[in-house]
Amino acid sequence: MKITVESKSGSCAFQCGGNETILYAGLREGLNLPYECATGTCGTCRARVMSGEVEMRWKDAPGAKKLKPDKGDVLMCQTRPISDCLLRVPSDIAATDGNRPTSRRGVIRDIRKLTNDVAHFDLYLTEPMDFEAGQFVVLEADDLPGGRAYSMVNFDNSAAKVAFVLKRKPGGGFSDWLFARGKDEVQVEVFGPLGKAVFRPEEAKNIVCIAGGSGIAGMMSILEHGTRSGHFEKYKGAVFFGVRTLSDAFYVETLARYVTASNSKLHVTIALSHEEAKTPTHPNYPMLRLASGMVHDVAAETMKGRYENAVVYVAGPPVMVDITIRALIMGGVATSDIRYDKFS
Amino acid sequence: MAWKRICGADEVPENTAKKFDIDGIPILLVNYGEGYRAIPPICPHMEEPLEQSGVIVRCVLTCTKHLWSWDLKTLEMKGETEKPLKVYDVKHENGSILANIEEELAYEFDDAEEEDDDFFK
Repeated sequence: MKITVESKSGSCAFQCGGNETILYAGLREGLNLPYECATGTCGTCRARVMSGEVEMRWKDAPGAKKLKPDKGDVLMCQTRPISDCLLRVPSDIAATDGNRPTSRRGVIRDIRKLTNDVAHFDLYLTEPMDFEAGQFVVLEADDLPGGRAYSMVNFDNSAAKVAFVLKRKPGGGFSDWLFARGKDEVQVEVFGPLGKAVFRPEEAKNIVCIAGGSGIAGMMSILEHGTRSGHFEKYKGAVFFGVRTLSDAFYVETLARYVTASNSKLHVTIALSHEEAKTPTHPNYPMLRLASGMVHDVAAETMKGRYENAVVYVAGPPVMVDITIRALIMGGVATSDIRYDKFS
Repeated sequence: MAWKRICGADEVPENTAKKFDIDGIPILLVNYGEGYRAIPPICPHMEEPLEQSGVIVRCVLTCTKHLWSWDLKTLEMKGETEKPLKVYDVKHENGSILANIEEELAYEFDDAEEEDDDFFK
C-alpha cells in the first residue's frame, strides 16, 4: 500500500505492508518521521489521516491520550494501513543519513539475574545489525503481542549478538514474563536500530552520562565504544549511575574495567538514593566513587561549571530524566549537547 | 484594542512563568529578566504545560520535554525548534503588567492558516 505523508517540508511517499506500522515502514525507507519511543507511550509520532483507511493496533496506548480520533489522529507506531493513505505530520520530514532500521528475527537466550529486579539477556539475530552506541530496538515476542524498547548494552559493528538490561516491573507484563523465562529460548521480532541519543567519537567532545537504574544500558554501549575507540585518551568522561542501594548496582566490574583502561580520564560515580554511602569508594572496586543522594543532584554538584565541551547523555525513569534535563539547562548546558531517548 | 491587566509587576519573579485566567483565556506570563512575554500556556510542539515544563535561562525559554526553545527577546527559534511562539503584546504600566488580548491565540496543525484545524488545541 502506498503511504503519502505531507509535512511542513513537503510531501513524501513510501510502501507499507499490511502487517507493519506506518512509522516502521517510513523509517525503514530512511525518512526521519517524528518518533521517540516507537512503542505507543510518548505520543511524538502522531499524525492525521486525511484519506484512506487504517487500523490502530493499541487503541489505549498512553501516547494516544491527547489525540482526536474523530479528526483522524493516530499514532503512526500503532497504525497499520488497510488501503492507500494520505497523512499529515506536524513537523519537518527529510531523508536521514544514519543506519536505516529494519525488521529481523532473533532468539533471546541466557537471561541472567544481575540484582533482585534486574537481569541481563542476549539476543541472537538472524541477520547482523549495525547500530550506533546509545541506540535501541523494539522487541516483540511471538507469544505476547506489543513492542517493548530496549537499549543495546554492547557495541559492535555488524553485531550478530546484542545484549540488553531487563528491569522487572511488578505487574509489568512483558518484563515479568521474560524475567520468568530463565533458561528458555524466546523467539522475538526485532525492529531497529532506533534512537538519536547516540555517541559519535568524531564529535570530539567530553562525555557525561547520567543514568537512573536500567538507564545505564545505553551508556554501557557508549562507554564500550569510547573505550575501544581510544576516546578517553583525549577526552574526559564522567558517569553518574543512580541506584537505590549498593546491592542494586550492576555492571560494576565492567565499569571498573573502563575506568582502569581510561588512565584516569573516565570517572564513575555510583549514587545511592536510599542508603548512605558508607565508604567514599566501592568496597571491591576502589576506582568507582560512591555518593549519597539522587543521581541528578550528585551529578549537578560534581559537574557544576564543568560542562564545557561536553555532550550529556541522560536515561532512566521519566521523572528522573525530566529533573535532570531541567538541571542541565539551568546549569547552562546547550540543548544541542543534551541527548536522551524517553521510552520507559 | 483590549489591554487587560494580568497581574502586578512583582507577582512573577525573574526567570519564572505563571499562568493566569483572563476572562476565560489562559495566559502564561513569563518574566525573563529583561522583560515580559504573554503567551499561550502550552508548548506549540506537544501541548506540554509550559508553566511546569518550561525553564527560563538567560532570556531563553526551553520546554524541557523535547528541548524546543525560543529567545524571548527576539522570539527567534533556537536549535531544532520548528514552530514560533505566539505572543500577546505586553506593557508595563503603573506597577501592573497588561496584555493586549483580542482573542485567544492557539497553535494550528502547521503554519498554514486553517480555520477549522485544531490539531494543537
